[in-house]
Amino acid sequence: MKTRSRPLKTRLQILGHYAVLCAIAVVCVFPFWWTLVTAISTQGNIFAFPPTFWPKAPSFENFIEVFHAIPIWSFFKNSVLIAVLTVFWKLLLCSLAAYPLARLKFRGRKLVFGLILATLVLPSEVNFLVNFITITQMSLVDTYTGVILPNVVTAVAILLLKQAFEEVPQDLIDAARVDGASEWVIFSRIMLPLITPWLATVGILTAVESWNEYIWPSIVMSKPDEFPLSVGVLYLRGTFGSSTRVIAAGTLITIVPTLLAFLFTQRFFMRGMDGAVK
Amino acid sequence: MTIKRLLAVFACAGLLAPQAWAAEKIEFWTFSMKPKFTPYFNAVVARYEAQNPDVRIEWIDFPWDVIQTKLVTRIVAGTPPALVSLNVPWADEFARDGLLTPVDGLIAPARASYIPSALEDLRFKGRTYGFPMYSNVAVIAFNTDIFKQAGLTRGPASLDEQLAFARQIAQRTGKAGIAPALSKIDGLFMQQGLAVITDNRAVFNSPQHVALVQKLADTYKVGGLLKESLFAEDNFPAVIDAYKGGRLGMLLAPPTAMQRIRGDAKDIYAITDVAPAPLGPTGIADGGWLVHFAIPKGVPARLLPSVGKFARFLTNDANQLEFARQASVFPTTVKAAADPFFLSTPQNAGAAEKAVAAGALSMGHSRTLYVAGIDDYDELRRSLVKAVEAGVTGKQDVKQALDQAVAIWNRKLATLPRH
Amino acid sequence: MKLAHRHTLQAWLFLAPALLLLAAFSFWPVGYGSVLAFTDYSLIRETRFVGLDNFRYIFNNEMFVSGLKNSLMFLLMVPFVQVGAIVLAVLVNNRLPGIRLFRAAFYVPVVTTVSVVGIMWGFMFHEQGALNYVMLTLKLVNAPVGWLTNDSLALFAVMFVTLWRGLGWYMVMYLAALQSIPSDMQEAAMLDGANRWQRFWKITVPMLRPTIMLCSILSVLAALKAYQEVDVLTQGGPMNSTFTALYYAYDQGLKHLKLPRALAASFVVSLFCIGIALLCLRYLKPKHR
Repeated sequence: MKTRSRPLKTRLQILGHYAVLCAIAVVCVFPFWWTLVTAISTQGNIFAFPPTFWPKAPSFENFIEVFHAIPIWSFFKNSVLIAVLTVFWKLLLCSLAAYPLARLKFRGRKLVFGLILATLVLPSEVNFLVNFITITQMSLVDTYTGVILPNVVTAVAILLLKQAFEEVPQDLIDAARVDGASEWVIFSRIMLPLITPWLATVGILTAVESWNEYIWPSIVMSKPDEFPLSVGVLYLRGTFGSSTRVIAAGTLITIVPTLLAFLFTQRFFMRGMDGAVK
Repeated sequence: MTIKRLLAVFACAGLLAPQAWAAEKIEFWTFSMKPKFTPYFNAVVARYEAQNPDVRIEWIDFPWDVIQTKLVTRIVAGTPPALVSLNVPWADEFARDGLLTPVDGLIAPARASYIPSALEDLRFKGRTYGFPMYSNVAVIAFNTDIFKQAGLTRGPASLDEQLAFARQIAQRTGKAGIAPALSKIDGLFMQQGLAVITDNRAVFNSPQHVALVQKLADTYKVGGLLKESLFAEDNFPAVIDAYKGGRLGMLLAPPTAMQRIRGDAKDIYAITDVAPAPLGPTGIADGGWLVHFAIPKGVPARLLPSVGKFARFLTNDANQLEFARQASVFPTTVKAAADPFFLSTPQNAGAAEKAVAAGALSMGHSRTLYVAGIDDYDELRRSLVKAVEAGVTGKQDVKQALDQAVAIWNRKLATLPRH
Repeated sequence: MKLAHRHTLQAWLFLAPALLLLAAFSFWPVGYGSVLAFTDYSLIRETRFVGLDNFRYIFNNEMFVSGLKNSLMFLLMVPFVQVGAIVLAVLVNNRLPGIRLFRAAFYVPVVTTVSVVGIMWGFMFHEQGALNYVMLTLKLVNAPVGWLTNDSLALFAVMFVTLWRGLGWYMVMYLAALQSIPSDMQEAAMLDGANRWQRFWKITVPMLRPTIMLCSILSVLAALKAYQEVDVLTQGGPMNSTFTALYYAYDQGLKHLKLPRALAASFVVSLFCIGIALLCLRYLKPKHR
C-alpha cells in the first residue's frame, strides 16, 4: 500500500483511527504501567500529586524484597505444579470424552451430549459451597487434587476437542478399523496425534486459566506455603499494607509469566475463540 | 507412552492427602504479624520447644482480611488450628455459633495474672473463650498552640468538655477541634453509659441519646467537628492527616499514632501534649481493642491440656511485655502492664512516651466496646450511622432521625432468633 | 441396528471419568445445594428441614436484598460491554500496522488474574491515586474522590473493573465473527453504492446476530454471578454497599459459616441464571447440532 498516494482525508481517518485505539489502549494498559513504574522506582512519594509516570531511581530492590517477604518462589512452584497437573488431566479426560461424541455411534449419545451442553447453562460459580463440602468429605482439603478436581472437566474443552476430532478424515479411521485396531488404539495412536494443534490450544488456554484461578484455590488451601501465586500475591497486600512498592513488585512477578505466555501464543487464544464461536 | 506414564505417576502424586502427625503438633494462627514480628514469634516458639521437647509448634500468619475464611474452611474440614488469634466481635460471633471451645479450665492456673477487664471482654454467656494477648487504649493528643490560641490550658476531662473545647477552638481559631469516629457511634453511646440495645429492642432514641447527638450537632454547626470523613467507615487516615497538618486541635488515638506524628510532622509533634483519654461515666476508656487467642471447636480433646499450656506460655507476663514493647500496644497481664517501661516517663519525654504512660494508666479501664449477640450487625449499624449523620449535619431533626433508625432496628431485631 | 450401537460399551468407558466428574462437581452441587437451602445444615447439630425459613431470612436482610439489587445493577453494564466490544472488534478488524499489538493490549486485562487486577485498581482508585489526579487536572472534581471508600461510588468502581476485565474477551469473540463474514457481500454492497454506515447496519450487524445473542446471554449470566471483583477490591464494603447476591453467599458461607443462608442465596442466584438461560434457549433458538 503506497501511503504517499493516499488522499489527505484517508490519512486523517487513519490517524483518527489510531488515536481512538491509543486512547482505549491507554485505559487498558495504564494500571500495568503504573505498577511497573512504582515497582521499579525507589524514591519519591508513591501517591504524590502528580503521580510519577516515569521511574525515579530505578532498581530491583523492591523485587528482591518481595522474595524475602513472602515465599514467592514457593507460590510460583505451586502454580506451575497445579497448572501442569490441570493441563494433563484436562486434556486426557476431555479428549477421552470428546472422541466418542465425535466419532462413535452408541446408545445414549444424544443424552450425553445434551448433559454436557446442560453444564454450560448451569451456574458453575454458584457451586463452590457444595463443592467445598464435597471436597471436605473426601478429605481433599489442602490438597492440589481438591483444587483441580472440580474444574478439570469442562464442557467447553470437550466441545472444542470434539470439533477437532471431527476434522480428522473418516477414511483414516475406517482403514484402522479394517485392520482390526481397537478403539483405544485408534484414539491414542491416530486421533490424538492428528489433533495436536487443538490440544495445544486447549492446553494453553487451560494453563492460563489455571494460573489465574483465584477463588477456588483460596478456599481449598489454607497453608500459605502451599498457595499458588494468584492467592499468595494477596498475602503481600495484607502483610505489607504500607509498602506499595513491594506489593507492586510482587504483582508484576505474578503476571509476567502469563503476559509472556500470552504474547507468544496469541494466535492460540484467538483460535480458541474462533472454535468457541462456531 | 513412557512420558505419559511418567506424567500419570506424577499426577497421582497429587492425590496423596497430607498425613496427620503422630507426635504432638500444635498449630497456632496470628494475623498481620509478619514480617515485623517474625523474629519475635520464632523466638517464642523456639523457647517453648526447647522447654517441651515432645511438642512441635507450627506458626502461621495470615492477613487479617483472610483469616476468618481460613478458620471457617478449616473448621468445616475438621482440622482446625489449635489456637487462633481473634478480635472480640469475631469471637463473640463464633462463640455464639458454637464454634469455639471454652477455656475456663485451661486458663484457670493463670487466671489471676490477667487484667480483669480483658477477661470480661472474653466472657460470653458466663464462660471464658480466650487467652488475652494485647489490647490498646486511646489517649488524647492536643496541639498546644491551638489550645493557647483558644484560651485552653489543659486536656479535657470528659466528653462534654471535649465538645465544649472543640466549640471554643472553632470559635476562636477557626480550626476544627476534634474528629470523633462517628461511624462507631454505637461504641460512643456505650462508653457514655447509654445502652444501644436493651432486651432485644433498640433504645437509642431516649432523651439522653438525643441530647448527646444534639451536642454533636451543635459542635458540628460551629465547625468544631472535623468535616472530612466524619462518617466514613475508617476516618483515621483523614483525621491523622488533619492533625499533622495543624488543622485539628485534639486527636483521640492509640499511642502508636504519636510515633507516626513524630515521623511525619516534627513541628506539630514538638507542640503536642498528651493526656489520658477521658473515662466516660462507665469508667471505660476509649479505644479498647482486645486481641486474644481462642481455641476453635474440633480440636481433639486429648490435645487440649497441651494447647492450654502453650497458650498460657504464649500470653504470659514476659512474652506479653516483650510483644507490647515491640508493637507499641498494651499487654493484658497485670504485672506486664505495671512495668516501668509503661509507667515511667524519661526526663525529656516527647508526646510518644507520655502517650504510652497515659495509656498505661487507662489500661485497667479498657474494654472492647461493641454490640454483641446480633447477626449481620453491620447492616443495623449502617442505618444508625446514617441517622446520626442526618441529625448531626442538620439535614434532619435529631430525634426524628433516631426514631426512624430505632424503628428499622426493632423490625429486624424482632425477626432474629434469640440467643 | 446392532452395528450402529456396537461401540456403546467402549464409548461409555471413554466417557466414564469425565461424566463422573461432571456429575460430582457440576450436577450434584446444583441438586444437593438446592435441597440444603431448605434445611438448617450445620456442622454441629443434626440437619433439619426448615422449609422457607432461610429464604425468609435473606429476603429480610438488607445485605442480601441490596446485594441482589446490585447484581441486577450489574446487568446495566451488559449493553455497554457488548456495544463496546463490537466497537473494539470493528476498530481492530483490519490490517493496519501494529494492529495485533492493540488486540493484545485490549485482551491483556482478561488474562490477568483477578487478585492482581484488584491490587492494581486498588492503587488506581486510591484517594491520591492516578484516577483522582486525572479528574483533578481536568477539573472534573474539586477534591479527591474516594472511589472505593464512598458507599455511593464504590459499586460503580467495582462494575467498571468488571467491565475493564471483560471487554477484551467479548472483543475477541466478535472479532472472530467479523472475520468469518464473507467479504463478497461487502464488496457487492460497495459496488451498489452503499456507504460504510449502511454496510455496517445492513450487512455486518445482521451477520453478527448469532454472536450478539450468544455474547449477550453469557454477559447477562456473568453479571448475575459477579463476585470475585468484589472480594479483591472492597470485600463488600464500604458499609456493605458493594455486596452482590453471590458475594453474600460467599461471605456468609465461608466467613461466618452461616451455610443455610449462603445456600439459600446461591439457590436464588441459580434460579435466576437457569431461568434466564432457559428463556433464551426457548425464544432465541441458537443453532446447535
